[in-house]
Amino acid sequence: MSTSAANIRLCLDLAFTQSVDESRRWILSAMDRHGPGMVTMLWRILGNEHDVCDAYQQTFLNLAHYQQAGKVRPKNVQAYVFRTAANTAISILRRKQRRRQHLDTMAETKPLQQDVEPCDDLDAKLLQDKLRAAIAKLPNYLRDVVVLRDLAELSYEQVSNILGISAATARVYRSKAITLLAAIMAARSKVTE
Amino acid sequence: MISSRMKKQCKKLRASLVKKTIGKLSSTLWLQNHIAACPRCRMRIARVARVDFALTLLKSQPHSSDLPARANISAINVLKHSLRESPKADKLRQIESAGAWRQKCGAHIIPLAKTAACLAVILIIKLGVLSSMDNFCKQGSSAVEHYYARHLGQEYADEIFSA
Ligand SMILES: [Zn+2]
Repeated sequence: MSTSAANIRLCLDLAFTQSVDESRRWILSAMDRHGPGMVTMLWRILGNEHDVCDAYQQTFLNLAHYQQAGKVRPKNVQAYVFRTAANTAISILRRKQRRRQHLDTMAETKPLQQDVEPCDDLDAKLLQDKLRAAIAKLPNYLRDVVVLRDLAELSYEQVSNILGISAATARVYRSKAITLLAAIMAARSKVTE
Repeated sequence: MISSRMKKQCKKLRASLVKKTIGKLSSTLWLQNHIAACPRCRMRIARVARVDFALTLLKSQPHSSDLPARANISAINVLKHSLRESPKADKLRQIESAGAWRQKCGAHIIPLAKTAACLAVILIIKLGVLSSMDNFCKQGSSAVEHYYARHLGQEYADEIFSA
């Protein structure tokens, strides 16, 4: 092959790569724009850095597959990445909880009898674990709001935009979610006490 | 038997709890008196305060400063070669968010201190020694301060509670 033919081929390859890059670059832009917020949200849902990386990776893998499935890109990229990341994180959380319950059953262990000492509630780690478990138990429509509003710290306007509901509805759902979380956590405490 | 006035106050307090966070509930005299006299509302406040506190705790826990970069690296690794090799991907692999993250976490320290005072309600209810709001505040605050001193160090606790 002559040098000029090889050069032309190289140029064509380069042009093709650049056009592929152009059509997919929005994935990296989404990572740049929403990545830090997603990491914060995932960290608060999961409390484990390895799990955060897994959920984050899965979200962008889904996003890449979205394009491969013939669709160009989600209409609302922020909504897509935040919802996918939250759902993936909750699945990981639930899977871990099931595994823990299974191990407890296998070992035929009962939860340790806890003293009714009031300072038990002040055990930060325990309280956070209880909250995470309670969040995983919320119905999806309430959970989405509390995760986006309280853990991702998005405004009600952003939450409503992501979930496709009005800001007023998001506020109502948030209140219901907190009341339900309070009840779930209280019920769990009674079981362990 | 619960009087209709008491029921009205219960309803008002429930509505306030839905609209505002515990920390923003006004501590008016009727509210203080009602909380002291109504075990159901005490329980209600305690449960919501617990969720508030747990949420604030979650928000105040820092992750390692390189987590955003590590997350980006793991996500970029599964993308197409052309994206992996792009200059933008390089930039994302080296993202530095420590400053912004610390700032975000720091913003929760004061609310955490405020919410901590609310957690005192739970304490007092469990102890069953609620005789007056003054008593409740004193015991609650000292217990929470003790908690911070135990978990974060006396110096940090002094800083929070002298604020
Ligand atoms: Zn009441």
